Amino acid sequence: MNAAEIRAALPQRHPLLLVDRVTSLEPGVAIETVKAITATEPCYAHLGDDATVEDYAYPASLLIESFGQSAALLWLDGSAPSHRLTDDALLLFVGAREYTVEGRAYPGDVVRHVVRLERVVADTAFATGESWAGERRIATVGSLIAARRPRATVAEPAPGPTGTGADRTIPANTSAQGGRHVR
Amino acid sequence: MSGDNERYEQLREIIAEVLEIETDELTDTGDFAEEYQADSLRAIEILARIDKEFKVEIPQSELPELRNLKATYDAVARHAGWQD
Repeated sequence: MNAAEIRAALPQRHPLLLVDRVTSLEPGVAIETVKAITATEPCYAHLGDDATVEDYAYPASLLIESFGQSAALLWLDGSAPSHRLTDDALLLFVGAREYTVEGRAYPGDVVRHVVRLERVVADTAFATGESWAGERRIATVGSLIAARRPRATVAEPAPGPTGTGADRTIPANTSAQGGRHVR
Repeated sequence: MSGDNERYEQLREIIAEVLEIETDELTDTGDFAEEYQADSLRAIEILARIDKEFKVEIPQSELPELRNLKATYDAVARHAGWQD
């Protein structure tokens, strides 16, 4: 799957379309994707001349988003054509459990996501997997949860943080799609 | 019986984790939605976790039954064929 096909399958757009290529896909079961990181990523735009190499560590929030988009590609590709994402549906990042950062990726790294789809219940998908930078594993994902909901049933995002504060749950407001406000 | 008890406590741990509360806060009959502010997504997550941990598949149609710990255990036991 190339960049154009990915763009056709996902609702995200530049600068938040964070999957460059699908390298392998077993529909409904597993997917491997890559995301190349460069020094020209928008997240580095604010860095000054005194930036250290650690300032160039790719943000975990974007790494999760990239993993989540990979999971969405796996899930949506495995759905029947009638279940694919349409204009009437929204893709929501619900949350992640047991997400462990084990290392960092830097400009020049090609991040590889290995994602397995565990279960789909009531238009809600549960995925697990790892993220790698070359031979280094940089993150493990216990469970990433995404939901597809009709646009009409999703409220506008409320102002302010919506996370419930548990240590191991990533607040849903890190999502580009606006968090969990499903009625 | 001890096996049942162990599974009951395992289920309590799973649900408490999903609801983001302590295990001793989760009572047998406390309503997930009313007592612990769970929304429909939490119930879906509980169902998925039961599938993963116990290898027991509860049909989506029974989601509304998963309203407290005891009712959830009964649903799991019924689908797993555990004896009372």
